[in-house]
Amino acid sequence: METQFIPLAAGLAIGLGAIGPGIGIGYGAGKAMEAIGRNPEISGTILVPMLIGLGMAEAVAIYALVIAFLLVGKVV
Amino acid sequence: MEHIEIGATVLFRLGPLPVTNTIFSAWVTMAVLVGVSIAVTRRLKVVPTGLQNLVEYIVELLLGVCESTAGRSRGRQFLPVVATAFLFILTANWMGLIPGYGDTPWLRSANSDLNVTAAMALIIFFLAQGWAIKTQGPLGYLKEFIVPNPLHILSELSRPVSLAFRLFGNIFAGEVLLATMAAMIPVAIPAVFFGLEVFVGIVQALIFSMLSLVFLTIATTHHGSEEAHP
Repeated sequence: METQFIPLAAGLAIGLGAIGPGIGIGYGAGKAMEAIGRNPEISGTILVPMLIGLGMAEAVAIYALVIAFLLVGKVV
Repeated sequence: MEHIEIGATVLFRLGPLPVTNTIFSAWVTMAVLVGVSIAVTRRLKVVPTGLQNLVEYIVELLLGVCESTAGRSRGRQFLPVVATAFLFILTANWMGLIPGYGDTPWLRSANSDLNVTAAMALIIFFLAQGWAIKTQGPLGYLKEFIVPNPLHILSELSRPVSLAFRLFGNIFAGEVLLATMAAMIPVAIPAVFFGLEVFVGIVQALIFSMLSLVFLTIATTHHGSEEAHP
């Protein structure tokens, strides 16, 4: 069968899958920095929502990583 | 390097149900949490000191977050679920960093098993549906699948899936990362990644419980009346 392509597929899965979240996380954190720059006093209030937003964006990269693991582990 | 194993090792069977090392680790986590609770509530003081003070501080923190998101009465109603999710996930994640945890026969970080995270996500899902029916009545609950958003069922079904996979992916990938780093560079560098995993552990616990709180709040909000989100 074409099992020779599994490592390539796993690499592409996580490689391409990390592009979007990478951009999203960078953009989100940048916006948080901007907001802190405009109003340094509420940096504590910005921290927790920023972390939650970054966690949601990172989850998409994690979905891609799980697919890569499934491919390498030959589960599916 | 050892082979990456997504499925957990089965230890023994209770009748038809297999007990894996992740389930055993979850039991150990539960024993730790119950033990701390018993130790703290044995002789309650009105003015708390020591461990009781610390635990009350944590509970008040969580109550503050619940009330600021869901309002006073619903905040108290949701507190047990949200606080349990947060404390269990946090304790399980941090205990998974103790030396001895890994893909070992008896101990493996509880949330590195999709079954554990999916179980918690499904509990949140059914609680949200149940509370939605209770607050909006069966007709109001069914109306939501049609009126503002016909794809409402899709977004409802995608929530437990994303909750389960987010937590599983983060913790399982963290475990693989630590094992790989320890195998490649056994000196000094793994300490950096342990620090990262401590951070990821608490962030993921926070995200799971915050999202659960938000989903429960949305499910029990009467649509049509504009409830302000503070």
